[in-house]
Amino acid sequence: MAKDETGSVESASLFRIIATDIHFWIPLLVFVAGLVLLHELR
Amino acid sequence: MGEGVNTVATGSTVESPMPAGRLRKLQTLGIFCGVVAGAWLGGAEAPIKMVNPDVSPITVSLIMVLGVFLARWSVPALVRGTSSVRYDVSQAPHLVVWAVLAGCMWAAANTLTIYAIRNVGLSIAFPLWNANSLLGIFWGFLLFNELHHAGWKRWVGVLGGAAAMFAGATLLAFASSSQAPPGKGMLGVIAALGAGVLWGTMYIPYRKAYLTGMNPLSFLTFFTVGELVTMIALAVGYKGATPLWQELMSARSMLFWLMLGGFVWVIGDLFQQYAAKYVGISRGIPLSNTNQLWGLLWGTLVFHELQGGNRIVHSQVIGGSVLMGLGALAIALSSASQREHSSWREAAEREGQRYGVEDGYVRAGMEGREFEGGRKRRTLIDCILIAGTTAVFIVLAAVARLPRMDMHLSWAAALAAAMLVLLASCGITLWRTTGFR
Repeated sequence: MAKDETGSVESASLFRIIATDIHFWIPLLVFVAGLVLLHELR
Repeated sequence: MGEGVNTVATGSTVESPMPAGRLRKLQTLGIFCGVVAGAWLGGAEAPIKMVNPDVSPITVSLIMVLGVFLARWSVPALVRGTSSVRYDVSQAPHLVVWAVLAGCMWAAANTLTIYAIRNVGLSIAFPLWNANSLLGIFWGFLLFNELHHAGWKRWVGVLGGAAAMFAGATLLAFASSSQAPPGKGMLGVIAALGAGVLWGTMYIPYRKAYLTGMNPLSFLTFFTVGELVTMIALAVGYKGATPLWQELMSARSMLFWLMLGGFVWVIGDLFQQYAAKYVGISRGIPLSNTNQLWGLLWGTLVFHELQGGNRIVHSQVIGGSVLMGLGALAIALSSASQREHSSWREAAEREGQRYGVEDGYVRAGMEGREFEGGRKRRTLIDCILIAGTTAVFIVLAAVARLPRMDMHLSWAAALAAAMLVLLASCGITLWRTTGFR
């Protein structure tokens, strides 16, 4: 992961890596489905 | 001070295996944490029973999350200090995003459980959403190499144990089906199953974090930001700001009980996180799902939930409880072998490489040891957080009213004492073995 001169991770790089991680999309999609279910139950 | 607290891990690779003795000790610790998590997660449902059913589920969930938020900032401040949290984030900043996402999922699931409890009762809702452990086993196997090279005996132990727990949970649900309010049964079932799917999938971020070496206490502080933001958005979006405020004010005598429920839940969840860290989600989550047994104890002994039940009902309760206990025992006896643990390390190495986390940090996290520079002093911020949370609870307790309910107070005191004994013994073991790493 790209780091700047101080060793900190660049935000853009961080989010790009997360966005290309399939593990991220599974919980995100389930969360959205949960919100839809809550809306229906209301 | 015990093994591991003073030891600084400086390893540069995740390939070399953990000493067998250390692995055994951490596995035993993880199992103990799972059992204690069950007690506290089950006990957290008790204060909710004391709340007037006229308060809307969204408002109940929001108030609980406020208690959770306070607990999830003050407990880490008390145990390790917020400087340790900052240090953890500097090592693995990507986990902040994962933690916030997991928190958002928790809030949605928690709101669904309140709909479920209202519509089908605690006794039926509990086993349905506790099916999340089966989903946890699936995700653990599929994404994080859990149960790989585990051997058929461990497979039978974990899957057989989870199946026995599920069967026991179903029996308990049948036993209490007469308790369900009529009319909205299907809505309640859907809500409980939805909560189970959300919580079962929430374990993906959990495992992601702990494979990479993050401390559960650090993970929780960001997790709770997701919880609070989601709950406020849900509450304001569904009810509107003014009606929500009016309902909060009219429910002020119940705020203490709901926030206490949130606080108790956090303690249980914290031990669940340590269980997920040290024995994985495929074992840690089913073990913590023994919370149903504790929920049943609170329901029957304190709130007289199954009073007047016939012999069949009592047989179902005893049979279901025995099955759940045997299932938990089977899982507890199926801890990971060195070979399976090497598969975990492969998954950890993959995560470390993807997100650029130092090998030594990842290894130290897996071994429950302090990484160099990880131990920090407490600061003034920690004192303010602890004092502020204490003050809020004292003020709310002063205006709280004990609702008029048919409760067995001596049983409530006995169960609370048992929970405190478990908390103290597991907390001390966790401190001596890992220094709360």
